[in-house]
Amino acid sequence: MIDKINATSAGLLARVGSGGGSAAAGLPQSDDFASMLSSFVTHAVENVHAGEKAAVDGLSGKAPLQEVVDKVMTAEQSLQAAIAVRDKIVAAYLEISRMNI
Amino acid sequence: MVDALTNSLKIAAAGLAAQSMRLQVVSENLANVKSTAASPGGDPYARKTITFEEALDDADGRGEVRVSEISRDKSPFKLELDPSHPAADERGMVKLPNVNPMIELADMREANRSYQANLQVVRQSRDLMTMTIDLLKVNS
Repeated sequence: MIDKINATSAGLLARVGSGGGSAAAGLPQSDDFASMLSSFVTHAVENVHAGEKAAVDGLSGKAPLQEVVDKVMTAEQSLQAAIAVRDKIVAAYLEISRMNI
Repeated sequence: MVDALTNSLKIAAAGLAAQSMRLQVVSENLANVKSTAASPGGDPYARKTITFEEALDDADGRGEVRVSEISRDKSPFKLELDPSHPAADERGMVKLPNVNPMIELADMREANRSYQANLQVVRQSRDLMTMTIDLLKVNS
């Protein structure tokens, strides 16, 4: 369980650091919690990149305002969801580390 | 993605785009309220009209709105006696656009209200999504 949490957190950090990339690279390909979460995070990062691109296009006047706001809001929403899930993972991790041995 | 709240956001965004297009047509009509023909006796600017239609997205199961057509108002032009005008015909009559500023202003108000309604939908769906995500947060 802790291994999986570790792998997920590492994958999360690597993904955010590298700015996207292919899904589940270096992560277990099985249909487990970690790969589910990594695909979730990949999706979130894609949305953030779409939001950034839309913002740049909007500032240069190439995209309609509504589209820019829509994309940026989707990006923000994905980021919020990813952060909420990350906090949940960290809370679970701390919960386990506080276990009396 | 088939999340209903996300769909609501996209539909409202399409509504915003459609209503801003409507506002563009209104502004074109208002700006060209005195645009006459380039040649004597020619037709002046004809008022533009806009119509909307439902745009179905079967993959995501949502019905958005889109502009179906921007066409020209075929009602008769106003005639005015002004022999000194470059566009005046041999009788000295000038054809003026069939734009009624009062109608355009009413149309603008309507576009404005529809835009605000769609904005409210965006705000509401966004708030609901945020509240749902907040359920995940620790200590809340």
